[in-house]
Amino acid sequence: MPRKTRSRTSRAVAPSKGGRPWTFYVLATLFALYVAALYGPMLCIYILSFQDVRGGLVFPVKGFSLHWFVELVTQARTGDVKGAFDRSIRLAAVVTVLTVVVSFLAGLAFRRRFPGDRIVFTLMIGSLVAPGLVLGIGVGLLFNAAGLETNWYTSALGAQLSWTLPFGVLVMFAVMSRFEKVWEEAARDLGATRWQTIRLVMIPVLAPGLVAVGLFGFTLSYDEFARTLQTAGALNTLPLEIWSMTLNITSPSLYALGTVTTIVSFVIIVASLGTIAWMQKRRARRQSGS
Amino acid sequence: MSTTDKTPPQRAVAKTKAGLDRRTLLKGAAAVAGAAAGSDAIRGFPTVWAQEIKDIELRHVGVSYSVVQAIGDQAAKDLGFKVTMQNLDTSAAINRFITQPNTVDIADVEGWQAKLAIKRGVLQGIERKRIKEFDNFLPIFTKGELNGHKIPRQGISPYEALYIAKKDATELHDGVADWLTNIPQVYNADSIGYRPDLVGHEVTEWKELIDPKFKGKAAILDVPAIGIMDAALCLESAGLIKYGNKGNMTKAEIDFTINKLIELKKSGHFRATWTTFDQSVNLMAAGEVVIQSMWSPAVAAVRVKQIPCVYAPVNIKNGKEGYRGWCNGMGLMKHLTGKKLEAAYEYLNWYLSGWQGAFVSRYGYYSPVPSTAKKFMSAAEWEYWYEGKPSPEVVKDPYGVPMEPVGTKRDGGSFIDRVTNISCWNTLMDEAAYMNQRWNDFKVA
Amino acid sequence: MTRPTRAQRPAKTPETSGRRRDWLGWLYIAPLVLVLVPFFLAPLLAVVAASVFESDGFGGMTPALDLSNYWQVLTSDLTFNLYWSTAKFTFLTWLFSLIIGFFVAYFLVFHVRNPLLGLGLFLLCTVPFWTSNIIRMISWIPLLGKQGLINEALLKIGLIHEPLEFLLFSSFAVVVAYVHQLTIFMIVPIFNAMGRIDKRVVEAAIDAGASRFDIMRLIIVPLSKSGIALGSIFVVSIVMGDFFVVKVMSGGGSASVVGAFYEDVGVLQYPKAAASAVILTAVLMAAVGLILRTVDIRREITR
Repeated sequence: MPRKTRSRTSRAVAPSKGGRPWTFYVLATLFALYVAALYGPMLCIYILSFQDVRGGLVFPVKGFSLHWFVELVTQARTGDVKGAFDRSIRLAAVVTVLTVVVSFLAGLAFRRRFPGDRIVFTLMIGSLVAPGLVLGIGVGLLFNAAGLETNWYTSALGAQLSWTLPFGVLVMFAVMSRFEKVWEEAARDLGATRWQTIRLVMIPVLAPGLVAVGLFGFTLSYDEFARTLQTAGALNTLPLEIWSMTLNITSPSLYALGTVTTIVSFVIIVASLGTIAWMQKRRARRQSGS
Repeated sequence: MSTTDKTPPQRAVAKTKAGLDRRTLLKGAAAVAGAAAGSDAIRGFPTVWAQEIKDIELRHVGVSYSVVQAIGDQAAKDLGFKVTMQNLDTSAAINRFITQPNTVDIADVEGWQAKLAIKRGVLQGIERKRIKEFDNFLPIFTKGELNGHKIPRQGISPYEALYIAKKDATELHDGVADWLTNIPQVYNADSIGYRPDLVGHEVTEWKELIDPKFKGKAAILDVPAIGIMDAALCLESAGLIKYGNKGNMTKAEIDFTINKLIELKKSGHFRATWTTFDQSVNLMAAGEVVIQSMWSPAVAAVRVKQIPCVYAPVNIKNGKEGYRGWCNGMGLMKHLTGKKLEAAYEYLNWYLSGWQGAFVSRYGYYSPVPSTAKKFMSAAEWEYWYEGKPSPEVVKDPYGVPMEPVGTKRDGGSFIDRVTNISCWNTLMDEAAYMNQRWNDFKVA
Repeated sequence: MTRPTRAQRPAKTPETSGRRRDWLGWLYIAPLVLVLVPFFLAPLLAVVAASVFESDGFGGMTPALDLSNYWQVLTSDLTFNLYWSTAKFTFLTWLFSLIIGFFVAYFLVFHVRNPLLGLGLFLLCTVPFWTSNIIRMISWIPLLGKQGLINEALLKIGLIHEPLEFLLFSSFAVVVAYVHQLTIFMIVPIFNAMGRIDKRVVEAAIDAGASRFDIMRLIIVPLSKSGIALGSIFVVSIVMGDFFVVKVMSGGGSASVVGAFYEDVGVLQYPKAAASAVILTAVLMAAVGLILRTVDIRREITR
């Protein structure tokens, strides 16, 4: 906790003024520790994924090879990790897009009162907190009763959305609160249509928030277990596949998957940050001065 | 579809031929089974038959140690139709069979699950006559005995859950009948695993698991239905109680068992309880525990890491001890009809034809039709896995990775020694709800 | 289609077009409702129905109005113990993830000057979450176990002489795993709420001689309240609804509310599991209601 240190307050919290306050170093350390803790178990994953064929899921490390990465692609031995991974990624991508779009629309709706808004809101909170395992069985039963087959891209998609959307809409509340109504009104006054206002004013302003909602959607879907368990139909998503594999011999190829995911994520992040930086620089140069 | 469109005349021919083939085949049900059983027979069929069946897809759903991708791939290769293997945990699987029967074709069930699924009417009876290898099954499964030795029926034995009187019966039938609930395909006898280097003496009794000298170094399985049976075996072995039927306890017996477990937990006896295969391997390999209830391939997985680990031979003595047996079999879902049902029968018969039996044997499990599995195993493998003799060559796992050096002898001896020492089977008790509740008491204690 | 043309009339004030706005509101909310009705409301009704049905103990149910399942669940000590144990984990997880999440967000918003660097650091925090949670759970064993990285390191530098056993298969391990998994759910909303704070307000406060503590107490915390509330809702509902982490990380030494009815479902005790699920939903709705009572999240955007 920051203590009262009046002598230094003039340089305190405020950014962009003078040197770093001492809180910077404290919080930077905290942040570094958090990231270190975050990557602690990941480090084990990275190290243990490079073992040879004798390798197991715990230390000590046995040999060094890319065996488990090859295994990951050839897959016959440890269940359908590759197929399950493909499905999970595709499902998560669809969930992400739908979560962003539907949450955005719902956010627009909730900005004003409308009849039944409280009911929808309560329904949404209920969907957030209700235990997914039991709901999943319910969805499966209903599909069966309706003569439909459960599938990862139908029932599981719906079941996952019923979980990611409440998150998305709630985060959207926080995101949209950053948007001043004045901007919207100004746009309207200048003759913009409702759609133009949304597209040209709201979305660009809210873009970082929309990305946050998307990240939520992706992470929640990619890891979803309880709701998907009875709704995925005949093909497993990754969490289901891994969980069922744990009843049998599990191999470090799971760790290899973790390593690959991390590498790919970093490549994507560095690439997109680089692009943004490059675009900013170019825009700055074009506006020359700013 | 696209291929048939390209060659319409051929297709017409194919159709009549296939229809004819099918009719001839259908005439004698046994003939289909017979023809299908040997994979060579199927390959010998005219390609038209292959055309007909290649659009068929069978979805085989069950736990990962029983429903194995590699086996499904081989079956698909031999039989010419598509096989999708889906793994779920035990609980998810039975829920799927009951609540969404139409999303499954072949349900991989244990005896108690077969009993439930039959009761719920989601399985159809399997015609005994159409199972080619039926007479070669070990009589453990078909008659409840082996070499004159009656196999104990504590819990739900595979024999007890095998027969129904009619194709659509919803109650099990006691005694041999013409219709089967499922086709047993893989089984084993579970016991205790321990670290001989850290325990220091041979373990042949379940009571060692609850011996105070292993305080803080013991673990037990956290799947209530079978965890409680392991616990019961321990308590009985220690002479604390004599159960009427470990596999179907009374409330009083459940209370006694759980209270004892709570007592042990409070004294810090258990380092952990384990749920997944890997947890049990890791607990042992990482030295967290030295003795725990364990599965045979898990013991092997510890040994592959060059860490000594023994699968305790807990043979029946003085009416105590014995292994906890389990058996997974394949049930046919009720919605299967026509061509798909034919394919399903072929699939069942393929399973019993040996390839799969040899495969699971190399895991340390057994085939209920050892005579066919033997054909797919080398003499050395047979000696090691089934006869309990020292292995004349390096022991390899199903994927060809070396597991044990030359001269290794399998723990527990020959498979006859093992199976005749099974004293109870995995089960679902009548008081399952109460037992679950008490098991959770143990967990939160 | 018709929307833009109508909206083009700029003179129209919100008050004069009440009915059209209702209609528009419903248009915007329709996709959400279309997901919630079939995938939440309908199965929930099925669950409520199942909870009062009679069971034959083997997955069979006969329609009835039998409240004994509720009675059983509500009167057993086990329920109380399960909720107590789960609530304990929830509280500890909430507390630690809030503290860490708040300061991490604060650092990213107020101390990182380059927004691109801020975004990069934020994404750095999200990368581990793109490896499946179950894989990450498995990897705690080689980190925290008796022969894990931490114990080996501590032994090597001579800080300890016996491996620390409490690191794994303990309540400590459960809380660590939860905090590890859920702090990000605090960071995101708090980050968003803080981003909204006008930095000029902070500067003005400094100029007026406010202390760092006062700024925190009077400006930052009140203005981040909505983010804190949201993060709390997420963390509380996820921990209360989870069974997996407790099962794996406690080494089976603890149970959780959902874990208990996972076992019930496994042996087809549907009515009892359904009753437990209905009760848990009600409890959590109440908890979220309490949080929303302190911070009206919706008002933030309707201002």
